[in-house]
Amino acid sequence: MKKQVLSVVYMFLITLFFASLVSAVKLMNDDRIERNQSIKLQRIILQVLQIPTGEQMAQEDLSRLFNDRIKEIDVDDRTFYIGYEEDGKTIQGYALPVGGPGFWGPIQGMVGVDPQATQVLGIAFYKHSETPGLGGRITETWFSDQFKNLPLHPIEGDRNIFYLRPAGTGKAANELDAITGATNTSSAVEFFLNKELDHFLKELWASIEETH
Amino acid sequence: MPNLPPKKEIFLTGLWKDNPVLRQILGICSTLAVTNLMVNTLVMDAGLIFTVCMSSLTVSLLRKVTPVRIRMMVQTLIIASYVIIVDIMIMAYLPDISEALGPYVALIITNCIIMGRCEAFARNNPPVASFIDGLGMSLGYSLVLIAIAFIREPLGFGTLLGIRVLPEGFVQWTVMIMAPGAFFTLGIMVWILKYFRPQPQTGEEKG
Repeated sequence: MKKQVLSVVYMFLITLFFASLVSAVKLMNDDRIERNQSIKLQRIILQVLQIPTGEQMAQEDLSRLFNDRIKEIDVDDRTFYIGYEEDGKTIQGYALPVGGPGFWGPIQGMVGVDPQATQVLGIAFYKHSETPGLGGRITETWFSDQFKNLPLHPIEGDRNIFYLRPAGTGKAANELDAITGATNTSSAVEFFLNKELDHFLKELWASIEETH
Repeated sequence: MPNLPPKKEIFLTGLWKDNPVLRQILGICSTLAVTNLMVNTLVMDAGLIFTVCMSSLTVSLLRKVTPVRIRMMVQTLIIASYVIIVDIMIMAYLPDISEALGPYVALIITNCIIMGRCEAFARNNPPVASFIDGLGMSLGYSLVLIAIAFIREPLGFGTLLGIRVLPEGFVQWTVMIMAPGAFFTLGIMVWILKYFRPQPQTGEEKG
């Protein structure tokens, strides 16, 4: 009996020690991790709106640029971003957060569209749990660059905004290269991104109509 | 502790003679998963070296007070703690790589080499020897992973560490990017090794 009690007490103490250690490390780095994430998001928003950030821009400069050029607005439960040209008045485009289920877990991304919402300015995926080197390649530029200048139109019937085809077989402007070896991730992206784009564009067009 | 082999011997056993991947066929999941890109491989290696060394050291330090019945629970707790620390550090200081590796860092916890060394060595041996054993084993693991990535990344992507090493027109072997490519590479490596250095018979080894 005494042995069992000793085991429980020992386990309790050692758990307490290691849990505290891990928590301490986490607390010490929390600010840094949070800052990394917000900087990353700011960089991505600027990128998809085609506002040049430069590879090695310092964090402070990036944040300043972001504050000068981007305005956040909350619509329903999501945050949209309006990008302004250098004069600070003319709208350069809108950045819309998109997301949906991937193959292993949720994928989050950001799409930039022009002020009339007729084509894509840029796209980036920044959070996912796809297989590194396979589905994880949605974050690579060759993949996201394909979406540049993609014409946007409302979905009618079963005509999607874009399709992902086996690499090199796409013919039309809206047929893009899928990721070889990551069929499931590719079809997941095709599915949710079409749906999300359609949904946002309708909202965006409605609000553009209203302002005219 | 009687009959403890010299430190150098312990180190070399893990690094080569009893290599965890090629000889013991342990830690295969991560070997298959991260070796299609050299950068990911290197970070995985660093994470594993830290975790194995520290876990072995800690388990060894606690070996006289840990009740035998609950030692597995204690080992898992120790290993998990170090892995979470590695994960937090990578998120804080290498955010890009943290993204690329995604779930694999957390999955270091399930790497059989770590618990294998805790069970087989650290819980019966003094701390310094355990640390060296962990270092040898994890470096042995790292060497094999680097060798596999050195074959897979150029053939699969035409690059090494992201730098193009094969000409533009090179037809990439998609199979090398996927898990089967790793199976083939690893299988051939084990085969070659067994051909040149057959494993000693258990009887001979004792004698």
